[in-house]
Amino acid sequence: MKQMKVWLAAAVGAACLSTTAIADVTIEEIVADQASGDDIVSYGLGPRGQRYSPLKTLNKGNIKNLFPVWSFSFGGEKQRGQESQPLIKDGVMYVTGSYSRMWAVDIRSGEEIWQYDARLPEGILPCCDVVNRGAAILGDKVYFGTLDAKIVALDAKTGKVVWRKTIGDYEAGYSYTAAPLIVPTEAHGPLIVTGNSGGEFGIVGEVQARNPETGELVWTRPTIEGHMGTLNGEESTMTGKKNETWPGDIWQNGGGAPWLGGTYDPDTKLVFMGTGNPAPWNSHLRPGENKWTSARIAIDPETGEIAWGFQTTPHDGWDYDGVNEFISFDMEKDGETIKAGASADRNGFFYVLDRTNGEFVSAAPFVQNISWAEGIDENGRPIYVDDNRPGNPVESADGKKGKSIFAVPSFLGGKNWMPMAYSQDTELFYIPSNEWGMDLWNEPTTYKKGAAFMGAGFTITPIFDDYIGSLKAMDPATGEVKWEYRNKAPLWGGVLTTAGGLVFTGTPEGYLKAFDAETGEELWKFQTGTGIVSSPITWEQDGEQWVAITTGWGGAVPLWGGEVAKFVSYLNQGGSVWAFKIPESLASK
Amino acid sequence: MIHSKRIRSTTSRYISRLLLAGFMLSATVASAVIHASTPADPFGSVMWKTMVDTYFTGGDVVFDQRVIVSAPKSAENQMHVPITVDATGLENVKQIVAVADLNPIQHILTVRPEQALSFIGFRLKLQQSSPIHVGVQTEDGTWHMGGALIDAAGGGCTAPAAAHSVSNWMKTLGETRALVRRDSKGDARMTIRMRHPMDTGLASGIPVFYMNKMVVKDDAGGVVAELDLFEPVSENPTITLKPSVGNESSVLKVSTRDTEGNEFAFPLSVPAVLAQ
Repeated sequence: MKQMKVWLAAAVGAACLSTTAIADVTIEEIVADQASGDDIVSYGLGPRGQRYSPLKTLNKGNIKNLFPVWSFSFGGEKQRGQESQPLIKDGVMYVTGSYSRMWAVDIRSGEEIWQYDARLPEGILPCCDVVNRGAAILGDKVYFGTLDAKIVALDAKTGKVVWRKTIGDYEAGYSYTAAPLIVPTEAHGPLIVTGNSGGEFGIVGEVQARNPETGELVWTRPTIEGHMGTLNGEESTMTGKKNETWPGDIWQNGGGAPWLGGTYDPDTKLVFMGTGNPAPWNSHLRPGENKWTSARIAIDPETGEIAWGFQTTPHDGWDYDGVNEFISFDMEKDGETIKAGASADRNGFFYVLDRTNGEFVSAAPFVQNISWAEGIDENGRPIYVDDNRPGNPVESADGKKGKSIFAVPSFLGGKNWMPMAYSQDTELFYIPSNEWGMDLWNEPTTYKKGAAFMGAGFTITPIFDDYIGSLKAMDPATGEVKWEYRNKAPLWGGVLTTAGGLVFTGTPEGYLKAFDAETGEELWKFQTGTGIVSSPITWEQDGEQWVAITTGWGGAVPLWGGEVAKFVSYLNQGGSVWAFKIPESLASK
Repeated sequence: MIHSKRIRSTTSRYISRLLLAGFMLSATVASAVIHASTPADPFGSVMWKTMVDTYFTGGDVVFDQRVIVSAPKSAENQMHVPITVDATGLENVKQIVAVADLNPIQHILTVRPEQALSFIGFRLKLQQSSPIHVGVQTEDGTWHMGGALIDAAGGGCTAPAAAHSVSNWMKTLGETRALVRRDSKGDARMTIRMRHPMDTGLASGIPVFYMNKMVVKDDAGGVVAELDLFEPVSENPTITLKPSVGNESSVLKVSTRDTEGNEFAFPLSVPAVLAQ
């Protein structure tokens, strides 16, 4: 039976070859990915991660004629959250799924070409569901990370393992869920850059760059002050200065996981990584700013050195990871063009920085009722509300539980992992956000390998009775929200915008929806049959514009949702990828 | 990533445990039949034509008594069915291909003996009673066939590996026991047993994961034998080869790789022939 499947796959492969030659992906194609509508060879539709497509065949006028072409099931008895963005090259889709699986699918037929299932060990420790967010592609290989903190290179034609390397020790709580980033360098050629996950287990955040041919490490850059980086197999420099912003030895398990990967800007030739929360959550155990947790760091890919860093939540006490994607864009303000970058943070503020040096430009709230800070000062530092930090358990009567507070946003963030999009036409950012708060209290804790290192308890509560999810169009120059779409369940999927004036996102209720990029008017929706928590894509295939999305309800919300459960508990799991297109004959109608 | 795993020099007690030659029965096939088309299968396999069309292409197919396939008549343990193929009577052998006709995955292994005798010992998982066909292809393209019929209770390929009853089985992946001794003047006999679950992907919830490549090289880096292994090879693959090493002492270099890209390698010292 199995053998039969292999033959069929080979036959499909041969059929593809006869019509389209499957060419190797070059680093130039990756860098210029955003401009080419006929493939998607990077996570974020270009290394800047703008999630903006120049395609305009599909537009506000004809989107009513966008129809499903096929749906491909991931199969298996295990489903859970599907957060993956597919890649597209030469008529083949490469899509990853839950439990560290990957498929190559023939786009014209929707038939499987190959499937790869990582052999995961017992005892993996993913904190927040068994998701994967996507693959990378270069040359004749596709790459993705697995839940046991490995990175795998597969032959793009066969799905066979070419190499497999260890990012971290899964037994200590390391895992990997992000899409790898491929960047050019002069010194080493293209590098494949990964972060790591495991901030709830007291791991140490680290960015690693490897040779994509062999998987050998070229450089490593820990995100936590006091740890040494490496370059070409030898120690390079220490991150920061030991004990400058961390007390004692708690930095040795300081968290700061860059678990969402990064973006790359070809102008400044910098890699931008976001870093996670410090460990443990109980901030009273680690006085100081705790660099570089809850921050954006710019790394020179030639050396692995940190060019600049910017902490969004110094001395975080609310699990406000700073992992959110930092999207490069050029901003017109007061008659000047600023080489800017923007990020919508877990802490509820939308930041604009100068991407050449990390200097603060502006910040504006993108969710309502933010409680932990009065605002962001002129230097980009939060104006903390001291009473809104959970109390120190040492000061309580029994020393076991500090004063509980209600903070907004919740630890799942004004925005979580789901990537926003930036339109070069409207010059707006489209932010998938959530309106919720949390009761949060601190407890004593000590580090133990492989055990949760948090020192906190929590429940999440919606702020409004009728909705949590909120898709907002944010003007980065003014900080104004131009329009908002409200969704009952929390939004947990990425956003796509196109030159056709459209904004796409999926909902946990199962709809893929399209909005007018100018007004927010809902123009189209399609029910996929299970919740959507992934990022849509669009590309041109044989002269027609296609849209695709992976579907399958899961992610962190159903695991950590607290009182949010009543908004989502009825949602059913799934696991598939849907492909849509606007037929040529209907594109002009 | 090259793991240098523990190698234990083994005693003759291990040999006897490893190779219970006592229960192997010879199942040699009748004399060669040259046929323009595919010859009839002496084992009456319903899959015979499919096997030929799939695995034994590119030359004539003949049944040849010089291909000696030793196998038990009945599989005492269908997870570990021992097979020995001896085609040392044939010259100019290119490759040896073994298939189990009625397994859900038929292809067991392919061996290319470069500086080794045309000999292979292995164990396979058998899903049900099945003919085993072994084709030995010579340089002229001809497939010289042998085989055996094995009775089995069933279930070998779709049951989880025994390794999975231990939660940390991945820690011992690639641990190897190996034995090498002189078989005859000029030839050695080496047996390795390497820890690996050899998951077929057919057991519920367990993805495919098996050792798919084994290469033996000599001191100078020349290939002694290359093996492509497939899912039906038993858990903890136990492979016997007969490298032609000459009379001097030498070191064989064994390396293996699995479908997840794990690589294991170790040296095996062959003693010199004792002076007579």
